[in-house]
Amino acid sequence: MPDNIRVLSVLVEDGPNTLSKVSGVIRRRGFHVRSISVGPSQEPGRSRLTLQVDHGHAEADQVRKQLERLVEVVEVEDLTGHDVHSRELIVAKVATSEVAGLVQRGARVLDTGPEGTTVEFAGEGKDVGDFVDELIRHGIVDVARSGPVVMRRTA
Amino acid sequence: MVLEALEREGVELIFGYPGGANLPIYQRLPGHPKLKHILVRHEQGAAHMADGYARAGGKPGVVFATSGPGALNLVTGLCTAYMDSVPMIAITGQVNSTQVGRDAFQESDVIGATSSVTKHSYLVTRIDQLPRVIHEAFHIATTGRPGPVLIDICKDVQMAEAENVPPERLEIPGYKPNGHVDLERAQAAAIALGTAERPVVLAGHGVLLSHAEEALREFAERAAAPVGTTLLGIGAFPVKHPLSLHMTGFMGTGWNLKAVQNADVLMMVGMRVDDRVTARLADFAPKVKTFIHIDIDGSEMGKNVRPQIEVVADAKQALKAMLPHLPELDKGRGTWLAQIDAWREEHPLRYAHSNGHLQPQDVLIDMYKRCRNEAIVVADVGQNQIWAALWWNYDRPGLFLNSGGSGTMGFALPAAIGAKFARPELPVWCVAGEGGFVMTAQELSVAVEHQLDVKIVLLNNFSLGMVRQFQDDFYGGVRSQVDLTHMPDFVKLSEAYGLPAVRVEKFADIAPAMDAAERTKGPFLIDFRIDPEAKVYPIVPLGKSLNEFWEAPEDA
Repeated sequence: MPDNIRVLSVLVEDGPNTLSKVSGVIRRRGFHVRSISVGPSQEPGRSRLTLQVDHGHAEADQVRKQLERLVEVVEVEDLTGHDVHSRELIVAKVATSEVAGLVQRGARVLDTGPEGTTVEFAGEGKDVGDFVDELIRHGIVDVARSGPVVMRRTA
Repeated sequence: MVLEALEREGVELIFGYPGGANLPIYQRLPGHPKLKHILVRHEQGAAHMADGYARAGGKPGVVFATSGPGALNLVTGLCTAYMDSVPMIAITGQVNSTQVGRDAFQESDVIGATSSVTKHSYLVTRIDQLPRVIHEAFHIATTGRPGPVLIDICKDVQMAEAENVPPERLEIPGYKPNGHVDLERAQAAAIALGTAERPVVLAGHGVLLSHAEEALREFAERAAAPVGTTLLGIGAFPVKHPLSLHMTGFMGTGWNLKAVQNADVLMMVGMRVDDRVTARLADFAPKVKTFIHIDIDGSEMGKNVRPQIEVVADAKQALKAMLPHLPELDKGRGTWLAQIDAWREEHPLRYAHSNGHLQPQDVLIDMYKRCRNEAIVVADVGQNQIWAALWWNYDRPGLFLNSGGSGTMGFALPAAIGAKFARPELPVWCVAGEGGFVMTAQELSVAVEHQLDVKIVLLNNFSLGMVRQFQDDFYGGVRSQVDLTHMPDFVKLSEAYGLPAVRVEKFADIAPAMDAAERTKGPFLIDFRIDPEAKVYPIVPLGKSLNEFWEAPEDA
């Protein structure tokens, strides 16, 4: 991963303005979002964002500090360079029913029909990238891919 | 319910303008005689008045505006307060909650438009949110690093009736204003500064906001460390003090810049270290081995200059924690202070006394003789601002107000009006150029209506002076769109608004005009026709380092 990308896990209060405040601060400080995943956290009324942010010309810790200034942001953990589990999800439609090679890599078939087959795969960013290369050989009709969700390893 | 909540927060004064989407609040206003409301002539004026009120009095300024254009007219004023960390509460009317998003009449996305210029904002769509939101808003605006908070209240919420239950306690999990001092770091900072050979302390607005002037003075005297201030930090350290370096930055004094550029330890307290302070960043304070940065906002650490010692804390608490740890001072200290005294002699502030034109400095020096430290000076933006900063000797905090961060032209008159409401016992002087003055001149009506003792010193040079100076010196001498020959006759304009005014064109007339201003109850304007070629000195050419400052010509 390039040096100027930070990986952050951000716990936020749910609210109509939260996402625009987070993205607004990233934009106006000259940062750039590479990926974003959002979902509910275990705490009611709060969501967890996983962000990959390019910090541009600013110092690396500015991303965390600027996010911490937002009242909507409860907690920011900078996971860059830490030992983490990082998972991305991909759902893809290929134009064939011959998907044994994909299944062998760990893909799950979601449906299959005369127009092709829909598969899902989850893994680290690099594995998902390799999986996409494999998909290309099968003829991609459509693909949807999440950004990574990241968690510190327990050990 | 809005008004009850404001009374609970101790609000006495509101600057505002009614319109379609905040009429329910205005309908109830006469029922709350403890809340005095000042009807402004433009919403921007309300925001600057609330800003001046907060800066001069220390209490948060409160603004009302209606939806759409009313709220959007606040944006410049919110930005001005945000950049300078001024506590303010803006309450804007929004269309009915069921109309939001339908492009209703006078609807605009005020939260979206103001997010980048507020510390926090709320859209209130249900009445039960209101008591908590207002209580939180005041807490957020006034604690930690202060700033403006906007509350956008849908019209149906304003009309709703509900039991008014005061919020019991605050619970804002995402809001953690800093304040506690890391004692180890404070100690390290004290040792680094005390053992420095060539220490310099720079003080910003944070010192004033935390009322740390006494702590700073005690610390500086014990550490025998010279102290400069930023433009917004003026008043944090007495200008006449033997350790004073006066103002720093790209229009700072020569001896200050020499000291900063030769320091080995630089301690920056309550400031952002922005480009106006550093000039060319790569060459800022190049001999410094240890930068110490004290600020309540952790995101300021390393934003522009990476400190070796960071103290994220309230300035007063940090300075007090550092004081007992000051070691025996470096033996070279006497040499350093003597060197600074020599620089002070070599690079004095000076100006052209006698070229046949009225000089702005002469006007300000006369003002100072009258007021000493018993008046508030509110400056606009441009040459007038820097002249007022450099040619007065501010010894106490809270005497010089200006839009330092945002550099908002048109700030001075409404902010001076706000300051006068906050501190009626002090004389208030508004120093402005004619360019900025006409941007908010409509607020003269407010000064006249309330017969506010605001003395307006117009430094009229028939041009956008600072822009002209930049064009002359840094943009190839091409004077482009800076001529302001076609301006109203300011004496007649004042008459039209209902306040007395005089014009002054020569030195001998300064004192009689000032006498008249001081004698007159209520607002008074003096149109000083100053040298149209007058410049601000010292100045560091754009893009250059602080070493390369230009001074006023020798023969001046």
